[in-house]
Amino acid sequence: MTHPHTHAAGRRTGTSSRHGGRSAAPVPPQIPARRGPGGRRLLGVLLLVGLLASVLPWWLGTPAGSLRSTAATVTAAGRITGLIAGYLLLVQVLMMSRLAVLERWIGGEHLGRWHRDIGATLLVTVLAHMSLILIGYADLRNQSILAEVGTLLGDYEDMVSAFVATGIMVLVGFSSVRAIRRALPYELWHLLHLSSYLILLLGFGHQFTHGAQLYKAGPVRTGWIALYLLVVAALLWGRVIAPLAFNLRYRLRVADVVAESPDTISIYLTGERLGRLAMLGGQHFRWRFLTRGCWWQSHPFSVSAAANGRWLRITVKVVGTHTADLRDLEPGTRVWAEGPSGTFTAAHRLRERALLIAGGSGITPIRAMLEELPPGAALIYRARTPADVLLNRELDWLAQERDTSVWYVIGSRDDPGPRQLMSPDGLRQLVPDVARRDVYLCGPPGLVEQSVRALRRAGVPRRQIHLATFEL
Amino acid sequence: MRRAFLAITGLAASTTALVVLKGSPGATPVAQNVPTAQPVNPTPLGVDPSADPAAGPPTPSVAPTAPTSPKPGKTTTRPSGTKTTTKAPSAPRTTTKAPQSTNRRVTGNGFENEYGYVQVQIVVSGNRIVEAVALSLPSGGESDIHSGDVRNRYDGSGGEVVQKQNANLNTVSGATETSNSYKQSLRSAIEQAF
Repeated sequence: MTHPHTHAAGRRTGTSSRHGGRSAAPVPPQIPARRGPGGRRLLGVLLLVGLLASVLPWWLGTPAGSLRSTAATVTAAGRITGLIAGYLLLVQVLMMSRLAVLERWIGGEHLGRWHRDIGATLLVTVLAHMSLILIGYADLRNQSILAEVGTLLGDYEDMVSAFVATGIMVLVGFSSVRAIRRALPYELWHLLHLSSYLILLLGFGHQFTHGAQLYKAGPVRTGWIALYLLVVAALLWGRVIAPLAFNLRYRLRVADVVAESPDTISIYLTGERLGRLAMLGGQHFRWRFLTRGCWWQSHPFSVSAAANGRWLRITVKVVGTHTADLRDLEPGTRVWAEGPSGTFTAAHRLRERALLIAGGSGITPIRAMLEELPPGAALIYRARTPADVLLNRELDWLAQERDTSVWYVIGSRDDPGPRQLMSPDGLRQLVPDVARRDVYLCGPPGLVEQSVRALRRAGVPRRQIHLATFEL
Repeated sequence: MRRAFLAITGLAASTTALVVLKGSPGATPVAQNVPTAQPVNPTPLGVDPSADPAAGPPTPSVAPTAPTSPKPGKTTTRPSGTKTTTKAPSAPRTTTKAPQSTNRRVTGNGFENEYGYVQVQIVVSGNRIVEAVALSLPSGGESDIHSGDVRNRYDGSGGEVVQKQNANLNTVSGATETSNSYKQSLRSAIEQAF
């Protein structure tokens, strides 16, 4: 991957915003109340019940003992996997509907992980469904699989679109395999991923024209269609109506763009009624800057300061074409934001004290969260060179204000100092009660993996480790 | 990814389990002849007509056309496709024909064709077929339409089976396979009955 680095992200002079710019001394923020994992578990159970319910029509509709030939058995397995795939597809889309309820109960990070796992499962299930039905039907008709494909495509209504939907799903699935995804530009990957909606559309028809359980009018068919409508409604609400309401209400605009380091910028935003914006430090929005070159892209960035009622700030590392364009934003530019989302917040803590580990520009959500954590937190800030340390003056100030110990650990990952420190013993030496703390991690994947390993060996329970991953 | 792997394995295992569970009970096609004079088990040989999806649509199989007098039983088919109650009167209310004979239900062998599974049951009174019921017909997609045609033509106490009293039925157009399987199953039922 190439990173078009900037030589100098010119510091803009003056805060020309009529909304008042950024004066420091924020209102003393409150420590947010805890949000437990109860909602997430409840939803998980509900989804499992739904999975069972989706196979129930098959179970009730199949006479016991009717699966006597291999073909019948294979076809039956094909039908079951078809029902499961249909259900998983709906769940998968629902996970990405950005409904506020889901964001609040499950959280962006977990949603992302669920989406990935369900996605892989869905792809395998759809392929299994297709192969089993093909094998089963081919066996019944005594013809080859290829001839059966021909029959299905030629004689069966809606089958062409179903095959196309499968093709898209395979494409999307493969483009999401980590190694392949890293090689693709984000924009291309995103576009490919957006085509997933076509799957919903193209795969719809064949379920009802050929689905043994869905063809007949009746409660099953009605329920299945109702599920579809529900998911589409959730999509509309979460992706269109709610963001529209949010943006009409807060009317965010760029107030100023400031260079934090040669390749990092902070964008300050102002708007209306920001005092009523419910947002937690560590959460992120998806930002769409409404300028000629940028409006069609939306990217997730965490806010790098807690809510203060007057301005928002994001701090962005310039790593791609889009982020490079952000340096040239004019004050006054309208901004379309969707969010806030994420469970990487002080509200999701399980213990009273926290250890924060940041790497490079991963400091941004942690900087915002620091304002809301109970006193006594500890922060380890890893950076390659002193120039990569961002926001250090604010950090020092917050450290004093909120009784937080901060360690800047500078150097390459293989240097003896960082290596010793990022080991189980090193962590225990630095933070003796690490096993009884929540640990918030944000940084490059290498650092995160290494830290999680070290933390686990230092005795930190997995559920106390919070990761900020906003890949989607 | 580890969870996805677990999920896939779990789904594969449970799909297999479901298929095996459904497939096992009546592994061999046994025809059972049940005199209706006894309280009839509505699910002969474990083939549950109630669970049969093809029994779902409210086809006029029995209800509207029932001119012959020895009513063997009343089959209520609800459109939900989940529950069917086959109620047999404790004593046949025979008024005109064949007062001495009791009705027997004979289930033919099941036949699988490319569209689905076909199994026919006949009700025999003396040496006459008085009713035919398809316990299972292909379902799903267009099969439902064809199965409906087949059912309308053959089934019931006034259908072609009762009229012809043999398995040389006219093939229902558009449903050749299912017609043939119907005839095969009917033939095996007749063989067992007489």
